[in-house]
Amino acid sequence: MRLKKLRTGAAMILAAAALLAPQQEFKMVIRDGMPAISFALPKFAAASPPVQTAADEIHQVLTDDLKYSRIFQLLPKSYYDYIRAIDPKAIQFKDWESVQANLLFTGEAAEAEGGETAFIRNLYDVKSQRPILIPKRYQAKKADLRFLAHRMADEIMKAYGEKPVFESKIAFVSNRDGNLELYRMDYDGANQERLTFTKWEDKSPSWSPDGNMIAHTSYINYSAGLYISQIYEGRRIAVSTRGGNFSPCWSPDGKKLAFMSTMDGNAEIYVADIDDDALKRGAFRIKRLTFNPGIDTAPTWSPTGRQLAFVSDRSGTPQIYTMDAEGSNVTKVSFGDSTHHDSPAWSPAGDRIVYVARVDNVFDLYVLDLRSLQIQRLTESNARNESPSWSPDGRHIVFTSNMRGGLQLFLIDYDGAGLRQLTTKGQNNWPDWSY
Amino acid sequence: MKKLLILALVCLLAVAFTVSCKPKAKQVAPPPPPPQAKEQPKVEKVEPPAVVKKPELSEEELFLSKSLEQINREKPLQTIQFDYDKYFIRDDAKFQLESDAAWLKKFRTVKVLIEGHCDERGTEDYNLALGEKRAKSAFDYLVSLGIPAERMKTISYGKSQPLDLGHDENAWQKNRRAQFLVIEK
Repeated sequence: MRLKKLRTGAAMILAAAALLAPQQEFKMVIRDGMPAISFALPKFAAASPPVQTAADEIHQVLTDDLKYSRIFQLLPKSYYDYIRAIDPKAIQFKDWESVQANLLFTGEAAEAEGGETAFIRNLYDVKSQRPILIPKRYQAKKADLRFLAHRMADEIMKAYGEKPVFESKIAFVSNRDGNLELYRMDYDGANQERLTFTKWEDKSPSWSPDGNMIAHTSYINYSAGLYISQIYEGRRIAVSTRGGNFSPCWSPDGKKLAFMSTMDGNAEIYVADIDDDALKRGAFRIKRLTFNPGIDTAPTWSPTGRQLAFVSDRSGTPQIYTMDAEGSNVTKVSFGDSTHHDSPAWSPAGDRIVYVARVDNVFDLYVLDLRSLQIQRLTESNARNESPSWSPDGRHIVFTSNMRGGLQLFLIDYDGAGLRQLTTKGQNNWPDWSY
Repeated sequence: MKKLLILALVCLLAVAFTVSCKPKAKQVAPPPPPPQAKEQPKVEKVEPPAVVKKPELSEEELFLSKSLEQINREKPLQTIQFDYDKYFIRDDAKFQLESDAAWLKKFRTVKVLIEGHCDERGTEDYNLALGEKRAKSAFDYLVSLGIPAERMKTISYGKSQPLDLGHDENAWQKNRRAQFLVIEK
């Protein structure tokens, strides 16, 4: 998949200025374009031969995570041959400096009580020869070593001012067990797990920011209602069952749930107030935001929660608009009405919007960079690519595509690199990446 | 006279005795000869009880006797089609909805679900909204023809249930539709 910049004057120009005018919606972070940090990750030691397998598994998962981060550049394998093998008790930092490593990560696995695996890790700045993270000992069951590695990778991300990604989850919808049900998986496609077990169809999941709840549509008794599932308590709470209710999106502070409903007869955008009391009583205060005879749907919050982007056909074709969180200041931000602009998703840092542009039966993902006002096309596969959702750090996007046949979930980076397929069983759709 | 009376009595007794003794005499008698072949027994024809004539079922009674599955299999209500990305009722659909309304007026207890569907050319979220609008257009038109709103419900399935799995205008036109499901009778 090629990255392609659109020519100026192309059919689709998002009026980014309109998005930026009222208030600065993104915080400036200097990171893109910075050279990746060279990261040395020598083979992990094992206190006894039986735990070498565990040490290797942790090493493999951590390697995959760091490669995916796009912050760190792992030291090429051959470089390890140029220097002495590592001795964790007497690290030769000059050796690592000579192969241009900025960071050095060392680890040792050992057997722990109850058949579990213990793991001790250290992360050093090679130049200063100082530890960057306080040395730490982890312990996990053999089946949970992936999570142990993800935890360490996320701690490294946090140390570099990044949002953790590797312990995040992707919720999605699949028919692999016969009915449309909700599932979740790790960011890398591992641990795919079913969440709902009803005969009803479930659609359009949206994670709560705390990761404990998923808002979704369920078709119950010939009615498409909006529900919140508290997944660790096995509890489902009805939010709105009047009319059809779809496309929920949780505000970044977790206090509001925007969604489309036909409760008053037409497809409009509503916001439900979410707090512990409302969840306990199952009664929500719902406010209507749009008043237009056409379709208004697919709301997405800006990272500050002050604005919403959404889709409306009020101009004749589906186009992207923004409005304030209270419904005022509706502004059309996509132009070129022969192309349909749809499914916007605001990046977590607020600096980018990914959306779907479609001409007839070809849908592609585009990213608008709000700083440079450049539009970049992410997918070019003569297929249907849709339902984009950002990773917590805003560097990756999960989406649905039929580019390889049936509907499957894929990952792609914000600049079109790193395409990879996550699912293969059944048809899979509606991914939503947790906060 | 007296003698005569006694004689008569004796005779009567004698007759009565012989009559009463006859069965005993018969028991010892040899079995009667088998009936001769040419003597056919009389045939008695047994007719079944008279057939009860069921009263003619009215159209409504016939309808009510069917299951919902049976009724829906017969597709009593016509599916209407829509233009690409549109949700207004076309002229051809108006005729169909008028006949649908007539059927709904005939069977006044029926409740229906109006399902809005879309072709694959639209995002999931947008098509769910579009399906809602299509179902609502059909709903509104039937209300304008006098069908009470309480008898109808709408739902959108977006593009999740295509009738035709093809990827051309012919398939897409079939899939852009509002169709009916009888949910109560």
